[in-house]
Amino acid sequence: MSAILLIAVFTPIVGSFLLPPAAKVSEKLRNALALAFVLVSFVCSAVLLKPAVAGSPAYIDLELPLGLGFGFLADGLAVFMAMISTFVGAIIVFYSFTYIDRYPNKNEYYLMVTLFIGSMTGIVYSTNLIYMYAFWEISAICCWRLIGFFREKDYVLRADKAFLVTVFGALAMLLGFLLIYGQTGTFDMTKMRGADIPDAAVLLILAGLFSKSATLPLHTWLPDAGVAPSPVTSLLHAAVLVKIGVYAFARFFLINFSISQIWHTAVPVVAAASALVSAGAALRENDLKRVIAYSTVSQLGFIFLGLSTGSALGAAGGLLYILMHSLAKGGLFLCAGVVEHNAHTKDLGKLGGLIKTMPVTAVSFLLCAFSVMGIPPFGGFFSKYMVIGGAVAAGEPWVAAVFVIGAVMTVLYLMRAFIAVFMGEPKGGAFSRGAVDHSAALDEAAIGAGSAETAASAVLPRENSRPMVASVAALAALSLAGGLLIAFPSAFAQNIVSQMAVMLK
Amino acid sequence: MSGWILLLPVVIPAAAAVLIFLVPKNAWAAQNALALLASAGTLALASALFGKDAAFTVRWAGFGMDFDLRLYNFSSFIILAIAAFTFLTAVYSSVFMKDAGRPRQFLGFTLLTAGFAAGAVLANNLVLMIFFWEGLLATLFPMILAGGNKASPTAVKALVLNGVADLCLMLGAGIAAWLSGTLAMDRINLPVGGFWGGFAFIMMMTGAIGKAGAMPFHSWIPDAAADAPLPVMAILPGSLEKLLGIYLLTRVSMDLFRIEPGSGFSLMMMIIGSCTILFAVLMALIQKDYKRLLSYHAVSQVGYMILGVGTALPIGIVGGLFHMLNNAVYKNCLFLTAGSAERQAKTTDIRKLGGLGRKMPVTFVCFLVAAASISGVPPFNGFFSKELVFDAALETNAVFFVVAALGAFFTAASFLKLGHAVYFGKANEDAPRDAVREAPWPMLVPMAALAFACVLFGVYNPLPLRGLIEPVLGQRLAESAAGLPRNWALAAVSVVILGLAVLNHLYGVRKSGKASGASDHIHYAPGLKTVYGWAEAKLLDPYDVGMKLANGASAGLLAIDRAIDWAVARLTAAAAGLVSAGIRRAHTGRHWMYVLWTLAGAAIVALIFAGVGK
Repeated sequence: MSAILLIAVFTPIVGSFLLPPAAKVSEKLRNALALAFVLVSFVCSAVLLKPAVAGSPAYIDLELPLGLGFGFLADGLAVFMAMISTFVGAIIVFYSFTYIDRYPNKNEYYLMVTLFIGSMTGIVYSTNLIYMYAFWEISAICCWRLIGFFREKDYVLRADKAFLVTVFGALAMLLGFLLIYGQTGTFDMTKMRGADIPDAAVLLILAGLFSKSATLPLHTWLPDAGVAPSPVTSLLHAAVLVKIGVYAFARFFLINFSISQIWHTAVPVVAAASALVSAGAALRENDLKRVIAYSTVSQLGFIFLGLSTGSALGAAGGLLYILMHSLAKGGLFLCAGVVEHNAHTKDLGKLGGLIKTMPVTAVSFLLCAFSVMGIPPFGGFFSKYMVIGGAVAAGEPWVAAVFVIGAVMTVLYLMRAFIAVFMGEPKGGAFSRGAVDHSAALDEAAIGAGSAETAASAVLPRENSRPMVASVAALAALSLAGGLLIAFPSAFAQNIVSQMAVMLK
Repeated sequence: MSGWILLLPVVIPAAAAVLIFLVPKNAWAAQNALALLASAGTLALASALFGKDAAFTVRWAGFGMDFDLRLYNFSSFIILAIAAFTFLTAVYSSVFMKDAGRPRQFLGFTLLTAGFAAGAVLANNLVLMIFFWEGLLATLFPMILAGGNKASPTAVKALVLNGVADLCLMLGAGIAAWLSGTLAMDRINLPVGGFWGGFAFIMMMTGAIGKAGAMPFHSWIPDAAADAPLPVMAILPGSLEKLLGIYLLTRVSMDLFRIEPGSGFSLMMMIIGSCTILFAVLMALIQKDYKRLLSYHAVSQVGYMILGVGTALPIGIVGGLFHMLNNAVYKNCLFLTAGSAERQAKTTDIRKLGGLGRKMPVTFVCFLVAAASISGVPPFNGFFSKELVFDAALETNAVFFVVAALGAFFTAASFLKLGHAVYFGKANEDAPRDAVREAPWPMLVPMAALAFACVLFGVYNPLPLRGLIEPVLGQRLAESAAGLPRNWALAAVSVVILGLAVLNHLYGVRKSGKASGASDHIHYAPGLKTVYGWAEAKLLDPYDVGMKLANGASAGLLAIDRAIDWAVARLTAAAAGLVSAGIRRAHTGRHWMYVLWTLAGAAIVALIFAGVGK
């Protein structure tokens, strides 16, 4: 089992560096290898699931002096998170085959994406705070390169912003780790389970988590990161980056450390402010990807709420929220990618009427949006109910009421985006660049269909890219399946929460 | 009886819906057959289940969120009604939807709606109930969109208004579960004492009346009348939403919480009910479109139900539930007659319609019966349920009775106008007169069946009252409400009101010179004209007002967001720049300065070590 654990972490990390040489043989080989490395990691994590649920998780431990022992642990929480990240990551890599094909620097792209996913598994399985920090910073570097992938001046500045905010947050967190070290004399989390840690350390660590998981007041880099290629934004929002912070929160404060009661009120209040402010911004933005990005900030508030109030129901809800949000938000960004890829704009004021020519994307977007809104039978319903019900059960109904307002705003901004992109009439002149790029394909389609109606809508961009459309449809279907088959993920979340029993009421 | 059979009222329609989506778009006959078969099967099943008791429980999402269904007198009555209306809609739509909008989308989501609605009623666990209940959002949206993409603003409006109500319900349910320590609905029985108890009740009640379409959650319904296919109106605001909303309102105020007659919460419900009756009927009165007029009545009538249930008196609850059933019957029938007129005469503008009575006799008779029922003409069903509500309202406070009676007056007046303008007189010049003939029989049969029920439930009211409604209250009801009204004076007042409505109609027709203008003297009365002007300018639409508020709030929130961004990005950069500028200035290049620095640093290190050494 321990070998599988090592394979799960190191296949994508080591493998990512093999991708540029593989491209010398063939680009297809490189693409296939990238997908294979991520999938291997997913399969290994899936194999680790059974022992984790049974209560005998795979464990690797290498004793070293100064508390720097090297260790990996595949308990329920870690396997849960790793499976989500690698699975959604694999879909995104598959989607990238088509999306990224037309751009330069593809070697770097695949290297960074695979390394990114690998560093995520590293963070998730690490038991030692120092190694966790190291993987954490690797992910920051990948994120920096990928956000600035298009290399325009403004884009690079935004990549710098994301890098600086997350790295300074991580440095604060490192100081927090040192405080903990000063108290316990070790960096090994398995050796300090249940330790009381000082409030200063909690505050420093929270700075790291909030910067990574884009929570008020360290959140504005995330909407700015929307200049990245769409599969990358999807990766940041759904599979890896922003999930690091919430995962670490669960790892530190629900499984490992015991913290003073004040944080069970303070964190929900910050999360509530974050959820409301970003929901308001999402209602105002006119860039499709910025709307969805602010939506992520807002939804992260819900996840933090679930994890932080200290009730078992809320904690399980927070974990399910990570899963459902990954599926649905991944889907939304990939849909935005399909739109952007074919329409060459993501300005809500210029898009419109695309349901006629992009029916699968439109329906997938709607289904994913329903899941994020928390409408049954989609998966998002259960996580939203459990998070809100958990806050009530923890004796904080006021906070729950504020989050209900946030949930109403979620409905408003997602419907606004859906209507602006897919409904109504297309606005004039919006797709001029698209018309030039795809004129040949469009003419062919118009002639092929032959009807007057098709000819009229031929100016609208189409869903040219099958693998991309298949990816979004798969994520939409999974969002639905997550709700219909809730018994399975929910049982798993309960299993994980039962391991947290010490920390919860 | 084994419990798994309770899954069937949910699974049969849902499975049929999935099959309908798998059938090719053009295969209307196959889709139609599936819908008819499934809805007929569900109806047969619901009839077989009627009056039985059963339960079905399996573990589901953990934390007390069990898949828990319970069949008892109340739920078996409601699922029977849901199944009946679904079947009638399927029959009607087999012709009506054939060439209209997006028939497959309509049929599939109608069946899914029927399944979810049955699940919401059968559920005995709050989370399961909300699962099905909110699931109706996911079907409502595409059902309205079955009218074409032009319906998308209305679909969003419906989704938002219902979504707000549903989220309130979710919060209320969460708090109720917290207070009672269980999610099983048959074990929750809370007093409405304390802040959170009252808050939870208000939230859950909001969810119930929001679904029923009471003010302020109503304003999508008149818009949907214009945009959505007509059968959507007949089945959703006409029937199912009333059944669900009033079912839950009764459960919430009678079972989950113990509302006392005359208490503040009871009065609150009665005020909401009265306002809904009066304001919606005043809007209905001035409408010039057959469907929009009916849609405002769909809102107004729900006020009577809330008023009745809100009294918390047994007789009021019986009256409210009876009115719910009667309204579902006659309102559905009325919408179907509007559909006939729309399909056959190609318009629903009552200024263009006219003389349909002679050309469409069956539709006409059905309309007459249903209109008499909604206006409260004895001996049709609406009369009896309205009398019960009047009775209970008067017992609480005469003000409520006066409002309810005013509502009855305007209801009668607007249906006199509608019937007169559409079915009597002559067709307008530009209407395609010769082409108009009676609708095909699949449209007539559901209408006739519903009209027959209007008569039956009135003339022989012990059937619905003793058979369907009174068992719900059980011991609480001292004596049966069946038979003739107990309070003859009230009944006499009602008849006088009808007489006044006729006089008002005759005056209005005479003054304006045309039947469709029968309400103009009220519409353009001094004072009212101004208020109607505001309403027509959408200044009074709670949705538009709410959206303005949300937009304003979001502007403020975005400003906060930008300020934070400025602080994080610019302020820290500026601070870093200042610090480094300061340090740079310290680099003077003078040797003694660097020596001083080194010595100072060494001193600090020494101090630290000294401190650690202690």
